[in-house]
Amino acid sequence: MQLNPSMKHELIRKSVRHFAETELAPIAAEIDRDAVFPRSIIDKMRALNYFGLQVPREFGGAALDTISTAIVVEELSRVCAAVGLCVTVHNGVAVYPVLRFGTREQKQQYLSRLANGEMIGAFSLTEANAGSDAGSVETTAVKINDDYVLNGTKIFVTNGGICDLALIFALVDPEGARPANGVFIAESGFPGFVRGEVENLCGMRANPVSSLFLEDCRVPEKNILGKKGDGLKIGLVTLDNGRIGIAAQALGLAQGALEAAVKYAKERHQFKKPISSQQTIQNYLADMFTEVAAARLLLYRACALKDEGVRFGTEAAMAKLYCSKVATGVTSLAVQIHGGYGYSKEYDVERYFRDAKVTEIYEGTSEIQRMVIARAVLSEMRL
Amino acid sequence: MLKLIVCLKQVPIVTELPWDEQAGTLRRDLASGMMNLACLHALEAALQIKEQYSADILAITMGPPAAEEVVREAIALGADRGIHLCDRIFAGSDTYATSWMLARTIKQECPDYDLILCGSYTSDSETAQVGPQLAEELDLPAAAYIEKLEIHGRTLRVRRLVDNFRETLEMEFPALVTVSLENYKPRYAGLSGLEAAFDTGNIDRLNAADVGINKSAIETDGSRTKVRKVFLRKANKENILLTGTAANVVGDFLSKYESKISWAIGKDIEEDRNDE
Repeated sequence: MQLNPSMKHELIRKSVRHFAETELAPIAAEIDRDAVFPRSIIDKMRALNYFGLQVPREFGGAALDTISTAIVVEELSRVCAAVGLCVTVHNGVAVYPVLRFGTREQKQQYLSRLANGEMIGAFSLTEANAGSDAGSVETTAVKINDDYVLNGTKIFVTNGGICDLALIFALVDPEGARPANGVFIAESGFPGFVRGEVENLCGMRANPVSSLFLEDCRVPEKNILGKKGDGLKIGLVTLDNGRIGIAAQALGLAQGALEAAVKYAKERHQFKKPISSQQTIQNYLADMFTEVAAARLLLYRACALKDEGVRFGTEAAMAKLYCSKVATGVTSLAVQIHGGYGYSKEYDVERYFRDAKVTEIYEGTSEIQRMVIARAVLSEMRL
Repeated sequence: MLKLIVCLKQVPIVTELPWDEQAGTLRRDLASGMMNLACLHALEAALQIKEQYSADILAITMGPPAAEEVVREAIALGADRGIHLCDRIFAGSDTYATSWMLARTIKQECPDYDLILCGSYTSDSETAQVGPQLAEELDLPAAAYIEKLEIHGRTLRVRRLVDNFRETLEMEFPALVTVSLENYKPRYAGLSGLEAAFDTGNIDRLNAADVGINKSAIETDGSRTKVRKVFLRKANKENILLTGTAANVVGDFLSKYESKISWAIGKDIEEDRNDE
């Protein structure tokens, strides 16, 4: 088992860090304050393959392994988690299912455009009465001639305000003998695809999270992903993968907050010495450093399992649960170490603190992760 | 097709590196490496030549095993192949030995080059010597600290700023330039290129024997210098109060600081006074 990062992984980390520190660091606070999606920087990222992380080269992707993918999201999120979110949702839960379940025709039609960032993707499962309970979606899909006509309202759609394509989870033939869940590839230009207002959220404010209204939205039958009744399966497999991305995002946030806390603790003097010389602060930093290191190992193990082609769902859930917990804990302590300044928007840790909370909520709440993990521990550990 | 060679050096990321006050050295054991910034500018110049003309770029570095990373990075950015010169007996080489070894390698591995590009200096030692010394070893026309280059047939025209004068120089291929930080802003490495550099990147790792260098040759032709001490230069501020009549103050001021004032205003005050 390889525990040290390879030269490739380290070079990818350095390259993404350089990009993030040069391009994102100067604007991260501003785009958070104004809730602005940074289009010009996203354009630069398109040219550098950030939107085709694991897409094969034949479709113009970067063909990265999963550890590299996690490192990319981690390093972006270390500086600006909202941009990390855009990238991980696009790659992890929009591109991945098309790659995994798409027909040859669907791949030809969409993969290259997704991989080069010409199209930005979204994943659209959550509704007012469905989310954690993925089987209860109320959006409907009724077949009329060669199209399916979709009706319903999706909420909290990450990238919703700017996506060019969304995977819509819907109940197919609700009035038929055997209604089943299906996933539809809907382009934002399809008639009846209507975006709601961008949500006014606590964190991740530079990502245009919005509702999507499907008002007699006509989607060609050939745009069903996988088989008609595969919706739930596709959703669960996709979320397993997405959790790796959110864990990476949470880890990046924790890393960024840890570094900010260490820097501040060395600079800030009280009682005529840096606060880093106080044992209480040292204990905080020691715990933060340890937790971040443990989170990273857990995440990379889930990534390595996925790259080996074996089941990784439980490990992805554990990584997501733990990394998000570490992110909220570490960012909170980083604010504490900064004292009053940490509560001010003048310092990045205030943003990290707000951004971290949602990593315990989206792509499966911590409670859902525990359900997934408990199922595994009870079935696999035959004692 | 033009044949370009870019010489690269891996340097420690100094901003991340603690300074050992007592030993007077950087804690290199804690160092993570990066490509020297001026080398990235040299590589960018080569990449722009490649985009404009047909060119093949060979990236060369000499350094410990970890230095392979900068060659991979060069390939990720667009170099066609790489050479990593790596041997324990190269450890501690000074600029003289480095340029001599690079010259041997280039003569053996790529003798038909048109242009060699180096960074103007490295961030960890700042001697700016390897490029010009390499030109001497290879008996090439060379220009250091160039800002801009143009190619007209077999003629290379370069522009540089020296002592506040902007010079335009011309030389025939084969030639060598060292590139300053003025232009050729390095591009970002794409993720696809980074993956491919490790997947299919073509790098030859050569040891001393591969390029015909043995221990006795290193003893004869190796390093001529030794670093005895590295220290942080400190700038001190001092407030000085001149008292007395205005004439005394001005007189004192001039006599104490005449040379500094002359230098700052670009005029020899003493000479002026003698003329009067």
